[in-house]
Amino acid sequence: MTAVDMPGKPKLNYLNCDKSIKSWLLTLDHKRIGVMYLIATLTAFFIGGMLAEVIRTQLLVPKGLIFHATKHMSSFAAYKHYNQVFTLHGIIMVFMVLIPIIVAGLGNIVIPLLLGAKDVAFPRLNLMSFYLYVGGAIMAIVSTIAGAVDTGWTFYTPFSIQTETYVCFMVGGIFLIGFSSIFTGINFIVTIHKMRPPGMTWFRMPLFLWGIYATSIIQVAATPVVGVTLLLLILERTMHIGFFNSALGGSPVLFQDFFWFYSHPAVYIMILPAMAIISEIVPTFSRKHIFGYEFIAFSSLAIALIGFLVWGHHMFVNGQSAELDTIFSLLTFLVAVPSAVKVFNWLATMYKGAIKLDTPMLYALSFIILFTVGGLTGVVLGCIAEDVVLHDTYFVVGHFHYVMFGGTMIAFIGGLHYWWPKFTGKMYNETMGRITCVLLFIGVNVTFFPMLMVGAEGMPRRYASYLPQYQPYMIVSTIGAYIQLVAFLMMAGYLLHSLFRGKKAPDNPWGGATLEWTTASPPSHYNFDDTPLVIEDCYDYSNVKYDESIGGYVRTDVPATTEPAPVHA
Amino acid sequence: MFAVDILPQMFNHAMSHPLIGSYGLPNSDSTFGPKIQWLWNFWFWVSVFFTVLITGLAVYFSIKYRFRKGIREAADPSADHNTPLEITWSVIPLIIMLVMFVLGFKYYMDMDQPPSGCYNIGVLAWQWKWQFSYPDGATTSTLYIPVDTPVKFSMTSKDVLHGFWIPELSIQRDVIPGRTMTVWVKAIHTGHFKLQCAEYCGDGHSEMIANVDVLPIPEFKKKLAQAADIWVHDGKVLPLHVVGKKIAELEGCLGCHSVNGARGTGPTWKNLAGSQVKLVSGTATVDYAYLRQAILYPGHKMVAGFNNVMPNYYTDFGGAAHKKHRKLDALIWFINSLSVHANKASRPPVPDMPGKASTLSASKQATAAPATPATTAAVKMPAAALPMIAAGKKLYASMGCIGCHTVNGTAGVGPTWKNLAGYPVKLTSGKTVLADYKFLRFMILYPGKKVVAGFQPIMPSYTTALAGAKNVKKLDSLIWYINSLSDKASASTEPPTK
Repeated sequence: MTAVDMPGKPKLNYLNCDKSIKSWLLTLDHKRIGVMYLIATLTAFFIGGMLAEVIRTQLLVPKGLIFHATKHMSSFAAYKHYNQVFTLHGIIMVFMVLIPIIVAGLGNIVIPLLLGAKDVAFPRLNLMSFYLYVGGAIMAIVSTIAGAVDTGWTFYTPFSIQTETYVCFMVGGIFLIGFSSIFTGINFIVTIHKMRPPGMTWFRMPLFLWGIYATSIIQVAATPVVGVTLLLLILERTMHIGFFNSALGGSPVLFQDFFWFYSHPAVYIMILPAMAIISEIVPTFSRKHIFGYEFIAFSSLAIALIGFLVWGHHMFVNGQSAELDTIFSLLTFLVAVPSAVKVFNWLATMYKGAIKLDTPMLYALSFIILFTVGGLTGVVLGCIAEDVVLHDTYFVVGHFHYVMFGGTMIAFIGGLHYWWPKFTGKMYNETMGRITCVLLFIGVNVTFFPMLMVGAEGMPRRYASYLPQYQPYMIVSTIGAYIQLVAFLMMAGYLLHSLFRGKKAPDNPWGGATLEWTTASPPSHYNFDDTPLVIEDCYDYSNVKYDESIGGYVRTDVPATTEPAPVHA
Repeated sequence: MFAVDILPQMFNHAMSHPLIGSYGLPNSDSTFGPKIQWLWNFWFWVSVFFTVLITGLAVYFSIKYRFRKGIREAADPSADHNTPLEITWSVIPLIIMLVMFVLGFKYYMDMDQPPSGCYNIGVLAWQWKWQFSYPDGATTSTLYIPVDTPVKFSMTSKDVLHGFWIPELSIQRDVIPGRTMTVWVKAIHTGHFKLQCAEYCGDGHSEMIANVDVLPIPEFKKKLAQAADIWVHDGKVLPLHVVGKKIAELEGCLGCHSVNGARGTGPTWKNLAGSQVKLVSGTATVDYAYLRQAILYPGHKMVAGFNNVMPNYYTDFGGAAHKKHRKLDALIWFINSLSVHANKASRPPVPDMPGKASTLSASKQATAAPATPATTAAVKMPAAALPMIAAGKKLYASMGCIGCHTVNGTAGVGPTWKNLAGYPVKLTSGKTVLADYKFLRFMILYPGKKVVAGFQPIMPSYTTALAGAKNVKKLDSLIWYINSLSDKASASTEPPTK
């Protein structure tokens, strides 16, 4: 492998152009903001993951292995701690990991690169969005230290009004994080509208941008609703205004409507960018044009729009009228169709390709399989008669972990490995990457499949203790969680090793045809030396050839940028 | 530890797993079961088909079209779109989705609409306890369901959301404070099941589990007869502390107060009576007066080291309603029976035998208290009113009144109907009024305008169902029924007869 370092001074890039702490904290560079987002969200993911291990360990025995009655503590007092743990797990994973990690983390880094642009449309808003996230996280930490909330991440009233834990602080933190999400959405909508390079029409955009565009629309349109809802909850708690408390003339069901009006579209905020990553990885590693570009692009928009109208399927057993149940059920089934369309298009892309099973592609394959299981288990939950026997059981927990973990997180990890060489400038150990992916795939199934089974048998969710007949499933599930822990430790190991000791990455290690692969790894502060002119199809790989001498791919046709001749001598 | 002896268990469990026959759902013992099972199986095979198809293709393509250096470095030329194919794989899932939607909707409509002539059971949920009441006046903490009978549950909650969920009967519905939630079921087999709270409700959520017994009808009737009169068992008057234990179980006291010295959410009852306790401010001797006050007004004199979380039992034991002091006393007898420090001051006074109170053991004293039957009406109703009373009793169950108002003196979310008519009622406004015909009418038609002290203004409006000339008979029959439950019913409390 040829070293590409210039003798003497290394080439200036966005990482080494200014190394002061201030230059990071006050940066307006989308890549640096993206990296800070990744560090923040991965820290949150680590904490949320450790809480998950606590949850799984607790559930090894029916009366609880960690939190149970002792001489000094009643079982209920002990279970309260368990309730706090699963609540924090949910809040951290949903609001601080799943929602921002792809859009604000990876998205920030690669969106301008995919557009051949210098930065996002509003760099200052971008930095503010990051600090709102940090502010929200700090409020969440404060609330956790003062009295960790035990409401579940859904904050259902009237329990969230009655509990003595620090709900207001936590809700305030989520309110801030919500604004962070809105600002990111506005920024990306404008960026995609206004900063496409000459020649990049809407239907020449990489599909990742379509996915982010659809996501941003949801972020901007739905997040204010949860913001208002959470403010009303604070007013209710502090001033006893009866919005949601039946004792004061309010309606607990109204809270559920408000909450899910955001929180159901929010699951599409999590899954659409994940699908968008898969739409980039699959063609690149199949060395073949994406199949059904328009259908994939429009299916993102269809999911985003129909996704707004299905929130009532969370409330099939709360006594809402049968007419509403029916409409929500129908729309829920309709939203399944565009998801199926995407899966079939990815498979058709692989058909007759030249498939390289590198780490990102292994994650893409994992995603396709796990998302299929998650989607199909969602279908049966959308069916009203079946939902009655599955609602609020572990079946639901299994279902959404298949989608959120098997879907969003697996796609994120795939995208992280895909763009890792680009934004760090380093390669990771490919063998370790593949082994870890397989281990993680096994871990996910061992953890979440027993949940589907025990849920179908009737075990309710959010149980600190359970009937003894459910124990076998719980044990297997916990073993799965430990397998995942091992896989994540391995991943942390080889990625950190890559950062400090990794081989220097070529500009285009995978042979991608989108614009980010035409600039240096890592890119310079300004990304591209000149605005690229887009004349090629971003999924046409016929002119992207492997070059033995640099260990990466190069375009053999007209270079997409007018960057000076490659520095690798 | 657990791993060794769990392995054979796991093996046996896997072998007897219902997956063999029902693909994971428990065998359902209600009439909904077969339909739900059929649709589940349909979905199961559709899912197996698509999972195998998608996984199979992904793996097959990855192997067949894998990148091979020098042999296969580029993709074969093939189309990058095909509209007929796109339409095919959009329409086929759409059709399957619509089939599932239509069936799910159709089956759900059967589950949503209770047939006429259901047997009615009231369900009251609070943190973290279930209580069931039956039209004949019994209240139980185990749910008894008659087999082969359509049963409608009218449910409400005293505090937060709860979830009424019996997997083996395929029924689930949230229980929401301030609303009467209904769900119905017809069990086709007898059996013993668990009712698990499905909607997260706080610390004790995972322990909020009630036993469910689906019984043959004669046995069901026997259980209810036993439960109807807590003071008597098999014709024998029970000692008061035994009755107190029953009350403690029924009211859910034992969820927070242990009887063996273990630390709970509240102080243990073991060796409590007669002892000295440290309060948040100062100390107190746990005598009869203190125990009464602690139960009726929780939070007023808090024991140090505990949180102020005890629900208000004022309406259950004291309040304006009379005769409940007997229940309170029975409960305090029970607490005394658990304590080695119990003494004359900590025991309830026994007016019948004042001189011997301190010398007799608790149980002997207890038997001395006379028992009154719980459900018989003390005033003879005019014969002409009997059909009206019967109609009112039916309405009481079918309209959902049963969810909040008991007929045996136990307080629910609303005031009990036992000994209501003809008695003075204290309102939240501070006024005390006599519960006569006019008052009862007003309270039913305009809930929330006047509220009985100790209760919340959460009764739903029955104006459309009961107001107006055409509904006079319905409304009057309900009031006749309320009258039939009171020993002070009189001409002024009964509906006018023509």
